[in-house]
Amino acid sequence: MTGPRPPLDDRAVRSLTMNTQPWLSCDDCFDTVDSRIHELLTEMTAFPEAFHRHLAGCSACSEEARSLAVLVAADYALHPDVALARFEWATR
Amino acid sequence: MVMTVERSSPTRIVRASPGQESEPDEWVLRLRSGGDVAEDATRLLHELMVRGARHQVSRMSASHDLGRFRVEEVVQAAADEATMAVLSRLGTFEGRSKFTTWAYKFAILQTAVEVRRASWRHREVEIALVDDRAPDTWSPESVAVAADFSEAVRTALDHALTAHQRRVAVALIVDGIPIDVLAERLGTTRNALYKTLHDARARLRAALTAGGYLGIPESGEVNP
Repeated sequence: MTGPRPPLDDRAVRSLTMNTQPWLSCDDCFDTVDSRIHELLTEMTAFPEAFHRHLAGCSACSEEARSLAVLVAADYALHPDVALARFEWATR
Repeated sequence: MVMTVERSSPTRIVRASPGQESEPDEWVLRLRSGGDVAEDATRLLHELMVRGARHQVSRMSASHDLGRFRVEEVVQAAADEATMAVLSRLGTFEGRSKFTTWAYKFAILQTAVEVRRASWRHREVEIALVDDRAPDTWSPESVAVAADFSEAVRTALDHALTAHQRRVAVALIVDGIPIDVLAERLGTTRNALYKTLHDARARLRAALTAGGYLGIPESGEVNP
């Protein structure tokens, strides 16, 4: 690429510089997302650090995990909004 | 235990018997049993996957541009793929969640990937337009003299990463290309791209730390 590049917006700056340690792969995230959501919706268990950091760093995995929480809410006798609130709490 | 489908509006709910959730073991047993029992369980599993796929499509703004016919194609294709994925990985279900929670994640993943790919099918991904500047032609001082943090990040982005790391970081974060789309265009995997991005972030943080913009590295941070 040649020539000046446009300035980075705040969102890009935050995303580029976030700390995503400890490492967790997308595959590992997928393998455990059901149990993490299950524990969150049954016992309000917070996400482990690696899982939390991965969701912060991978928008695709984060959206899919959020979607799962909303989809299965009724199976845990929760309103989808409650499940979503718990997810937001777990990823704050 | 008989598995039935309640035709309640607006969604169908699979239950072992009215008012009771099918135990995870029941799903696995029935799906593995063979004959009519397995066939019926697979049909119910597919209905779950369709429900999951419709749910995911409804959440994605990218699906709005696809048209009703294409959306239905995506839903059915994703549900088919997800059903096969569940059946092929049945042995990995450990009962750490409800079976339906475990199965639904396959539907969500397949659908999300399909929708992203479909919405980007006719869009150019200009990932080649990043020069191959070597990472060792800069110094922390070049970051330290930046006017502000944003400029420092830009400087580090341009100088502290390998060419591949820069391409991936710019494509995913700056240009907002979905990771599945980029993986397909580059002939790689989502996993590999996330690793590249993870390493790029660590390099950027190291450069910004050396330039005085970030504090002492947190435990576990490494400079790949």
